[in-house]
Amino acid sequence: MFLRLLFESFRRQKRRKSVALLAIALGMSIATAMIAVGTDIGDKINQELRSLGANLVITPIEDTLDVNIGGVNLKPASEGSFIPEQELIKIKGIFWGHNVKGYAPFLSAPQVIKTASGDVKAELIGTYFAQPLHYGNEEFSTGVRSVNPWWKVEGEWPQDYAAWPQNQPPDVLAGSKLAQESHISVGDQIEIGGRKLRVSGILNSGGAEDQAVVAPLHIVQTVLDQPNAVRRVTVSALTKPEDAFARKDPETLTGAIRDRWYCSPYANSIAYQIREVLPNVRVEQIRQVEQNQGKVLSRVSGLMLLLTLAALLAAALAVSAAMAATILERRQEVGLMKSLGAGNTAVASLFLTEAGFLALAGGLIGFLAGAALAHRIGQSIFGSSIEVHPVVLAVVLCAAVLVTFIGSAGAVRKAMRFDPAVVLRGDA
Amino acid sequence: MTRSQLLLRLLFKAAWVRKDRALTALISVAVVATIATAALTIYSDLEGKLSREFRGFGANVLVTRASGILSADQLAGIRKIIGGNGEVVPVAYAIATETASGARIVVGGADVIKLRRLNTSWSLSESGPGNALIGSRVDETIAHGTDLHLSFGKASAVIKAAGVFHSGSDDDSRIYLPLDDFVSLTGVQPNTALVRVEGRPQEIQAAISSLRTALPEADVQPVRQITQAQTAVVGKTRSVVLASSAVVVVLIMLCMAATFTSSVLERRRDFAVMKALGASNRTVSFLFASESALLALAGSAVGYVLGSGIAFWIGKANFDAAILPQPALLLPVLLGSVILALIASTAPLRLLQQIQPAGILRGE
Repeated sequence: MFLRLLFESFRRQKRRKSVALLAIALGMSIATAMIAVGTDIGDKINQELRSLGANLVITPIEDTLDVNIGGVNLKPASEGSFIPEQELIKIKGIFWGHNVKGYAPFLSAPQVIKTASGDVKAELIGTYFAQPLHYGNEEFSTGVRSVNPWWKVEGEWPQDYAAWPQNQPPDVLAGSKLAQESHISVGDQIEIGGRKLRVSGILNSGGAEDQAVVAPLHIVQTVLDQPNAVRRVTVSALTKPEDAFARKDPETLTGAIRDRWYCSPYANSIAYQIREVLPNVRVEQIRQVEQNQGKVLSRVSGLMLLLTLAALLAAALAVSAAMAATILERRQEVGLMKSLGAGNTAVASLFLTEAGFLALAGGLIGFLAGAALAHRIGQSIFGSSIEVHPVVLAVVLCAAVLVTFIGSAGAVRKAMRFDPAVVLRGDA
Repeated sequence: MTRSQLLLRLLFKAAWVRKDRALTALISVAVVATIATAALTIYSDLEGKLSREFRGFGANVLVTRASGILSADQLAGIRKIIGGNGEVVPVAYAIATETASGARIVVGGADVIKLRRLNTSWSLSESGPGNALIGSRVDETIAHGTDLHLSFGKASAVIKAAGVFHSGSDDDSRIYLPLDDFVSLTGVQPNTALVRVEGRPQEIQAAISSLRTALPEADVQPVRQITQAQTAVVGKTRSVVLASSAVVVVLIMLCMAATFTSSVLERRRDFAVMKALGASNRTVSFLFASESALLALAGSAVGYVLGSGIAFWIGKANFDAAILPQPALLLPVLLGSVILALIASTAPLRLLQQIQPAGILRGE
């Protein structure tokens, strides 16, 4: 009998049911989309913040001070100490290696550059542009093109030569200011230390590199006769904003607390892990980047969290109101059932079961629509999709049932309070 | 009883006799208006609020003169362009030699207090009564917490530390002295100004252009990594807030329209009785429409107040600065809600008009 009542109610009141279903589905797609966007926004903005460049810098511990004014390096190339290049790949092997988005080694020295319009003294900087590397089974490429995304090149980026090319002079970049002052343009040949180089592009970095020649690392190592040498490495890593725990000295921690510190992707723990694999280096946070990006990140995530909460609340209220509205109109039905002898429990259980079915169906539809919306938002704004975790489905279904019950319960109770005779007469 | 009195009585009674029905309609309109107001208020102020968070990144523009110095007039000109919120720190550099080890150290002269205010990300350990800021690598390799004996060619001085700072940049290999001390030791005047322009990405761009025109002899360079990251993060966050608000507002509007439409359809009996008593289609539509419009007006007024309150609170909670209500939003929110309610409530009446009143009253 109960099942029949339930079934007939759905069959005969298609319009009413579809309005309720629509309302629930709409509310739940809001919930799904907002939860998905709100939880993923942190990761997405963290990726955007990588356009700030590296947040860690590695230098040899025995190195002498940098003597550097206005982008002009006054430190002799032979002075100080170096990091062996082939060791750098170990950075990918640390516990948080997966969070290391890329690294760029640097080796530089002031050189006399022979151009068509005469000799000029400028810095020769060697680095990776997009050097292909492999660690274990993982293939990846790293270099300034990903670590310093604000570097703009007019012309072509040079390739990362493994050794000095035989047939033609290797490609390099000329800084924009240097190019302007010495009349270098794309395709020109320059000469450094008796070796010919071809300018394949003009670099605009907005920094000291604009006055320099930037060349593939192995080319600079050959020119300076310092094979395998690197002076400085900048590392771009996805990190968790620093808190009081992150600032603790790992040497003073023990047991599980130390493990927790070690296994959190703080800049400090990533720096600690790099020091473990590369001996005799100091790893510093680039504080300007690291200290501030966390603040920006937490503001954006916080904002989305609050907006998500507001949207969820609004969706819950809207769904409740819609459910209440449909049930309030059914007081005649309640009156009829009660006058035929149905108890309050029977009436309530019928209405709540109906609401439950609607909630599950609406929740499912809403989840699918919301996931599609979140996907679209991710694609159009960040160019990468926002995945909805399956757990959200469970959350959304529970929320749908809860919200529809809350909306229905009040209305059902109200409808039952009236005397059936009064309701049926139409006086209520 | 005049016509208008009757209309008022009908409107009032309809809401009063079925308070619950009126209340659910009121709540759905208020929810829509609240979320729309909150989202739009936040969106309109987001760029400014988020841009403020980038002040901690320090200087975002560098002004340098390759030859010559930045005169007091020029510095005053820079200050005028960037306005009261920005910061200008003139800096001069020279190379000194540490007398014991012969190591060369870059020494900067600047207003040390302003420099610290500009670079809030530096971690500074207060270590001495002196007035110099010592870079961490200088301290590690040479000073080891003691006074530094520096020679600047002709002059020489004993440098006492006020503190040791970590920056992770080239500055770690430098020492900063108060500008007056620096000038009297070296005779070098500032040729560089570290400038922080505050504001939205386009305001920063505008300031850079005016700096370039005002100082043709100097080189004005934005610190691209910072300005670019600011543009990216602020722009994308705005887009996300806009897109998700649009999704929420549109869906919740549909939800409200569905509720409205269904509750009007449920009143077919009222409709039929009125028609049976001789009311024209126009009169009935007018009655239903004015009822919905009044409910929508009340609901959206409540929603505007609530939404502005939510935006204010989100600003306080998340940005430590209130997001103020936007009076310009009041009219669009009220009008939008009323129009939406009118459409949602009068559209179903067309359906009912096709049925004979007698049919409805008989229960067909």
